[in-house]
Amino acid sequence: MSDLDKAIEQLRQCRPIPELQVREICFKAREILIEEANVQIVDAPVTICGDIHGQFHDLMELFRVGGDCPDTNYLFMGDFVDRGFYSLESFLLLLCLKVRYPDRITLIRGNHESRQITTVYGFYDECIRKYGSANVWRYCCDVFDYLALGALVIGAGTSVQPTRSADGEDVETKVREAEDEVEIEVIGLGGVVTRQMLRREAGMINSTNLTPSALPHLSSSGPAGPLLTGIPGTGASGNSRGIATPNNAPANTGGAVLCVHGGLSPLIDSVDKIRLLDRKQEVPHDGAMCDLLWSDPEEIDGWGLSPRGAGFLFGSDIVKQFNHLNNLTLIARAHQLVMEGFKEMFDSSIVTVWSAPNYCYRCGNVAAILELGEDNSNAVLRSGGEEVLFNRENTRRLASTYMGGSMKRGGPGRRYRVFEAAAQDSRGMPSKKPMPYYFL
Amino acid sequence: MAVPTRFATPAFTAPASGADKDRTVQQTDMDALVSRCSAVSMGYLSDPFAELFLDTLTAKDRRYPLINRGTYVRTTALDKLVESFLSQPSKSMKQIVSLGAGSDTRFFRFASNRAIPFVYHEFDFPRVTIRKIQAIQKHTELSSLLSRFRNVESATEFSDTNLQIDVMSGSLHSSHYHIHPIDLRTLKPGTSLPTGIDPTLPTLFISECCLIYLLPSEADDIFRWITTSFGQAPETGSNSVGIVLYEPIGGDDSFGKVMIRNLSQRGIVLRTLQRYSTLERQMERMRVLGFKSGMGACDVNYIHDNWIDAEERERIDKLELLDEREEWVLLAKHYCIAWGWLENGSPFDDADCLAFRQWSDIPLQQS
Repeated sequence: MSDLDKAIEQLRQCRPIPELQVREICFKAREILIEEANVQIVDAPVTICGDIHGQFHDLMELFRVGGDCPDTNYLFMGDFVDRGFYSLESFLLLLCLKVRYPDRITLIRGNHESRQITTVYGFYDECIRKYGSANVWRYCCDVFDYLALGALVIGAGTSVQPTRSADGEDVETKVREAEDEVEIEVIGLGGVVTRQMLRREAGMINSTNLTPSALPHLSSSGPAGPLLTGIPGTGASGNSRGIATPNNAPANTGGAVLCVHGGLSPLIDSVDKIRLLDRKQEVPHDGAMCDLLWSDPEEIDGWGLSPRGAGFLFGSDIVKQFNHLNNLTLIARAHQLVMEGFKEMFDSSIVTVWSAPNYCYRCGNVAAILELGEDNSNAVLRSGGEEVLFNRENTRRLASTYMGGSMKRGGPGRRYRVFEAAAQDSRGMPSKKPMPYYFL
Repeated sequence: MAVPTRFATPAFTAPASGADKDRTVQQTDMDALVSRCSAVSMGYLSDPFAELFLDTLTAKDRRYPLINRGTYVRTTALDKLVESFLSQPSKSMKQIVSLGAGSDTRFFRFASNRAIPFVYHEFDFPRVTIRKIQAIQKHTELSSLLSRFRNVESATEFSDTNLQIDVMSGSLHSSHYHIHPIDLRTLKPGTSLPTGIDPTLPTLFISECCLIYLLPSEADDIFRWITTSFGQAPETGSNSVGIVLYEPIGGDDSFGKVMIRNLSQRGIVLRTLQRYSTLERQMERMRVLGFKSGMGACDVNYIHDNWIDAEERERIDKLELLDEREEWVLLAKHYCIAWGWLENGSPFDDADCLAFRQWSDIPLQQS
């Protein structure tokens, strides 16, 4: 086992690695990151994750839900550090994985990957507490400066692939065993299977035998829209909405997805302009690079001032125009706490993905990750709205939501996996644990 | 080396004895004081007195921006209500009673800024009042203010009161400032009034995260004690007493449930939260327990957005980046300021002179 694999193993146990090894890994990481573009190109399939914020045990839960690296191709949209108690272990684990599997994990920069912010929000203090000096914090900050500002996911399909092996043994073993029959199992409280969705042999489905009326138990499934099936462009979809091919993209191509931590900038009207930035610096207080990491979508027209004091607010018109001009079908971003784990806005032209459940051990929210399948995948099931709800291990919930790529305006098929915070007892936190602050 | 943690005092398992539970509640005061000092050092609040109450064992700590902002909004909102009570013209002296005052600095801040005298009483556990009195004795910045109004005022019965301090029992009496070592749970209708309190004066009670730790029946008894014993001046026929509360609300949603669970792990139980969990219930509480003339309640998020003028907001926004915007809204919606008053003017007085007149002009949050 190499030193790197040992470091990964140790970090997986939530144990910090020695300072000298941190220095070495940060150095190697920089060598890799310096070769990456400001907007790194990532091929689908990929699992996109939002803020982590040092919630190490919830990051482990994320890997259980989404599959391990390198089995699953990951894209983390920044804010690895600050707020949680284990920023150091969380970031170093992700960084070690980056060094070990550079093509299977992409890390882009969040607004917390900054010297200034980490001195306010906890990462600096944590490094001092755990190492007795600021050296490790400095090594990490030097890495922050090399992180990409965004990523462009290409080759995403209009549909998502069937559920792959994560670790949900109970559920997914059943899924695999009965793969020809079962697309999704819906498991309610207590692990009882409450709903099954039929799936015929891959590629054999067409709209005549898989329609809402053929599957009455599906068509009545709450807020889910009509089930759109068939490979777009083949006519098998039976519905023009099923073959939406925005921007003349080839059939069954979901189009490109821009991933960025915060959002857009009034100074950036094309992805190419992001490529022109000199990113290897501390996050500035204003300007394009700052905006990409700080801005938020909002129900306004055009641009607005951000209450955060950095970045801007941007409206639906801005997103739609940007996506149109850049042949994008979706912008995926993080940065804002969403109680439901993810939130699509502006006719599904932008989505917020939030991956820190019970944020700050205080907010009571669930988290989500977004899976984008590859094009020409054999998955053909597509629908809109909340679809399925898994419950594993009796107490935890794993909801997986399929959003039809073409329900409203096209875009890639996307599966949201929603998960709750890791159980308290699995945290192995010291008994004298610090508490989130309340006004007393 | 003391490294700031940005988190509250380390937890311990829920204490068993009643005395231990009381101590846990008393320690919440140190938490609030550290937060106050943090907000002062970051420029949110101007309060030269706060850090004088920090004991040598309690480390100064810099809180997160959203905590600083919450401390600012809470203090500013309560000050606003207190100020509008004190600033109403009146023939009689105004009286303020702060329940579970802890190391609060409001008396010192107002005394140093105002020309017109008022009387201020603080109630708390002896353990807390002893510590406070020791700090006052130690710092002349504090003790000099005890005689602040002595020369201005000559006509009141308090003007000739000499400073009396009993450190052992934790009591302090001066012409305008009194500290009473009192367990609030002993206050109920019929309880005799502590030394120096004049039930005939227009009186404002303050509870900043205090009554919520009592049993609902105990908290309700205190309300009834207030509304039946205070503010009544038989000779003029006037009647003037009010209360302002700052406390958590909304324990039913996921944030609230996590809050209850986290605090209970520290041994802190928000006992009246369930009963008074909404703004409506807080107002109903005022009405039912005797503050019949008027009442209001707003959550801290609303107050943050609506009570602070634009210029001041701009100043606050510039102090620190508030990255935790969504979290702020979530947190701030789980705290409220509620107020109520009972007031009947004497037939000889101008209605404009009612002590709580300005309170009826406060715009209410529409829920």
